Amino acid sequence: MVRLIYQRAFSLVFVLFSITFLTFLVSYLAPGDPILNMMGGRQDPVRYQFLRHVYGLDLPWYQQYFTYVGNLLRGNLGYSFKYPERPVWELIAGGVPVSLQIGLAALILSVVVGVPVGVFAALQQNNWRDTAIMALMLALYSLPSFVLIPLLWVGDLALYHAKLPSLPVAGWGRPENLVLPVAVLAAANVGYIARLMRGSVLEMLRQDFVRTARAKGVPERWVIFRHVLSNALLPLLTVLGPATAFLVTGAFVVENLFAIPGVGFLAVQAVGQRDYPVIQATTILLALAVVTMNLLTDLAYIVVDPRLRTD
Amino acid sequence: MAESALALPVRRTWWSRLWRNRVASTGGLFIIAAIAISLVGPALYAGLLAPEQRQLRDGIYQDYNAINDGPSALHWFGADYLGRDVFTRLLTAIRVSLTVALVVETINIGLGGGLGIIAGYFGGAADMLISRLADMLFAFPGLLLAILVSAVFGETARNLYGGVGRLLLVSSALSLVSWPLMARFMRGQALALKSRDFVVASQSLGASNLWIIVRHVLPNVAWLIIVAATLDVASVIVNEATLSLLGLGIEEPGASLGLMIFKAASRLERYPLQLFFPAATITLLVLAFSFLGDGLRDVLEGGSGR
Repeated sequence: MVRLIYQRAFSLVFVLFSITFLTFLVSYLAPGDPILNMMGGRQDPVRYQFLRHVYGLDLPWYQQYFTYVGNLLRGNLGYSFKYPERPVWELIAGGVPVSLQIGLAALILSVVVGVPVGVFAALQQNNWRDTAIMALMLALYSLPSFVLIPLLWVGDLALYHAKLPSLPVAGWGRPENLVLPVAVLAAANVGYIARLMRGSVLEMLRQDFVRTARAKGVPERWVIFRHVLSNALLPLLTVLGPATAFLVTGAFVVENLFAIPGVGFLAVQAVGQRDYPVIQATTILLALAVVTMNLLTDLAYIVVDPRLRTD
Repeated sequence: MAESALALPVRRTWWSRLWRNRVASTGGLFIIAAIAISLVGPALYAGLLAPEQRQLRDGIYQDYNAINDGPSALHWFGADYLGRDVFTRLLTAIRVSLTVALVVETINIGLGGGLGIIAGYFGGAADMLISRLADMLFAFPGLLLAILVSAVFGETARNLYGGVGRLLLVSSALSLVSWPLMARFMRGQALALKSRDFVVASQSLGASNLWIIVRHVLPNVAWLIIVAATLDVASVIVNEATLSLLGLGIEEPGASLGLMIFKAASRLERYPLQLFFPAATITLLVLAFSFLGDGLRDVLEGGSGR
């Protein structure tokens, strides 16, 4: 178990290095001279040298990288190119809780919906309900969010025109603004988790201990909840990492189409303004979210699965 | 496409087995039709009109009399908010999607497949280097790296090479995300083949590594590479649309399914058809490639193509 934790720690360091190094590299190679842009065509060599020095751009690349990582470790994400003298963190701080809110809500929703649906389908194995549910889940999983969103909008608009209660199609600030974006974000993961759970429950149903439990007359409900489900839920932990990765990419599209001021929205805005430090910071932030989630699930796995504790 | 890489005697077998898989062959036929229509469609469609009217259907010309019009005899799928022909733009967008997919999968097969085989076959330092590099790229979840790269280099690509530059940038950004997966997959395959009897026999007869890779390893993994690449196309198409939708991929006046969806999204209530066409197209394309890929895999696994 200790060796396992060491391995995880080592791979975590490597992953963090990769993320920061590649992010640094991309903007180091970025074309154009940010300082010249910032000075807006003014000819002032002294000021130019001064600004280069202030931003640390006169150092060799490896020193720039070390400064960069050093600053990151101190929580300093650098300064915006677009709004000089404003720290990047200040620019994106407002987006973090927003993204976190819809991300967490979507993650919870996808587990709460995906697990029962998958279990239900498994218990109905191969009849028409199972087939219909699994087809729907496959559609949810494979439909891109920008196809799903218009579909929801059309339904929502129909409700609105029929004078029935409807949801706002975009915007942020009120609780009902959460519904559609979270539903879209969760959709792919619901499909994924439901399919995974179905497979996992089916596998558990074939196990010897289930047959034994049934043979000794344990009530079916008890067999399902105590013997099948408690074991079938285990693989769910492994998908939380990939599910978060899904959410991160999904957040870009969802936040932009629903006009939600989250990290993905701010990142795309920064792209329009060619504000590289902001793009860098959002990339690192979102990658960190996934890395943290992966680490948590790894640790949870060690806690939950006794087989991993004895090596 | 794949025939040349396969041994001749089994050729008819896999082909007919794929043909008998109705879902897969429908997907395949749809893809062939999409390629053909996107290549010759715009010229044919414009050619139906008298020469002086043809520019009405070139997908860039703005027909001010037809702004936001629904389907008509002149504009089959209507015209968009600038009066451009939606049908032509749709065909152009399909061509863009398929071109990006082609470029990405070529890089994927060449770079990912090549490096994977080298890593698996030679092992040692080469394996270490390639695997670590792939792991580095894996550290980024999903599209994040592609978003970063196309965000930073987008402007330059456009200034240097215009629309083609953006297309190539999107393709390379997307291959950055997908080649490590291919490399990891191929590494495993090459590693397994390395200890097979026919490879060991060849080695003991003094065959060079190049000879073994070309004659023994490649023919055995060619099928797998093609299936993996076909399955990957679906996600490449979605990813290209996502990048373009975020303003990081293909730009106006170029056409991309993602861009068309984005532009039509704000006009959904009044002109839903403008959104329906690109959304339906991308759904069908993605489904077709998934079905074909799944079918190819079934053919491969059920009794092996070799």
